[in-house]
Amino acid sequence: MEKSLVIAPAVLQIFPKLNRSTYDSLDFATLSSMKKPSPSTSAKSVSTEKDGVTSIDMLRVLVDSIKDYAIITLDPAGRVLSWNPAAERLKVWKAEEIIGQHFSRFYPKEDIEKGKTDMELKAAERDGRFEDEGWRVRKDGTRFWANVIITPLRDPTGKLLGFGKVTRDMTEQRQLSERIKKQTQEILEMATVPVVPVWEGILLVPLIGTLDSQRTQHLMERLLQRITETNSPVAVLDITGVPTIDTQTAQHIIETISSVRLLGAEVILTGVRPIIAQTLVHLGIDLSNVVTRSSLASGLRTALSLMDLAVTPKAVATNSDTQWKTTSQS
Amino acid sequence: MENNISVIKVRNLLLVTMPPDPDDPTVSALQAKVLDAMERHQAAGVLLDISQVETLDSFFARTVSETAQMVTLMGGRTIIAGMRPAVAITATQIGLTLGNIETALTVDRALDMTTQGPKSIRQR
Repeated sequence: MEKSLVIAPAVLQIFPKLNRSTYDSLDFATLSSMKKPSPSTSAKSVSTEKDGVTSIDMLRVLVDSIKDYAIITLDPAGRVLSWNPAAERLKVWKAEEIIGQHFSRFYPKEDIEKGKTDMELKAAERDGRFEDEGWRVRKDGTRFWANVIITPLRDPTGKLLGFGKVTRDMTEQRQLSERIKKQTQEILEMATVPVVPVWEGILLVPLIGTLDSQRTQHLMERLLQRITETNSPVAVLDITGVPTIDTQTAQHIIETISSVRLLGAEVILTGVRPIIAQTLVHLGIDLSNVVTRSSLASGLRTALSLMDLAVTPKAVATNSDTQWKTTSQS
Repeated sequence: MENNISVIKVRNLLLVTMPPDPDDPTVSALQAKVLDAMERHQAAGVLLDISQVETLDSFFARTVSETAQMVTLMGGRTIIAGMRPAVAITATQIGLTLGNIETALTVDRALDMTTQGPKSIRQR
């Protein structure tokens, strides 16, 4: 048996006394011959037995010890030739159960129907490599998100001997990245259009930053949604944090206000600073139909009075409290 | 289809409920039914509940607006209640208006409005 594997000598020093393991299913000699080492690399390679340990043993130990990658080999038709413990852990199949079976056992039904397995082998054979990320199936039918690399294995004459298949479980990474994506989206939405209930029946929308069409569209949808959800008859739209207003933005705001009125609620536009007031008049934008206030505070006061509510100093409130107590006692 | 509109007299008001997808004959029937009931019951106003309506076209909007004017001429008041957000957005985007008709979030709130009299901050 010819052994011409390229293995770092350092690895051999770490494991000086390894016994030959019995991996009958995989012919490592054939595998190794595919490396076709050039004269310079073969000089460094370990090609003979050293203290009873061969490089092939080392490779077997490597393949057996790796925990994160399922490393298996397939024959040219796609039937499983070898199986490592990581593969068993990942895909649940035991070596004796799966060896000899077609590797489509690891694929979801819809992929098999699409002929994905054949396509992958063909692509690997043609391009020298095939990489894919997608759903794979365990023995029990559960799915995991896998990164798969398929490499064609050839003898020195170039004849196809089979394929090497390295699979990694990426489910956690995928879940993580999806969660991050979702959170980012949520934060973005919150930041673009916050709709906050400040009182029973009063919603506050503090807008900060430039309002583009997309944002105002989003604002309209969210505000109307929240108004119906919370059954709030008043919404305070605060534009203190909006640097400038152009005709289009003003138009969008007017549209939003009209929509809110159709629902049966009222909008108070607050935070109209001098510069905004000047711009609106110069642009000839008619907001005479809209209740506008310069400050959020006066806007809130208007909102409260619309709801027939008033904020009174505490002393007065305590007085009425005692009055109520005396009347209830009498 | 015309029978899909329900007109119920509640105290001195008419509670009118529209079906989810009113077609033109239904909309046409609305006006006649409402005005007829106004006269028959000598009602003080109309609460038009459109909370089930999923589409609002220009014909419906115009009919509602006209009917409201007619109700006003007959000495009544019209409040439209329960328009859905999606309907309101579409209506605004295609430029539909309901004139100066009063609106309410729900029939419940519309009833509150009838006991409190008309209120508008625009007049304050």
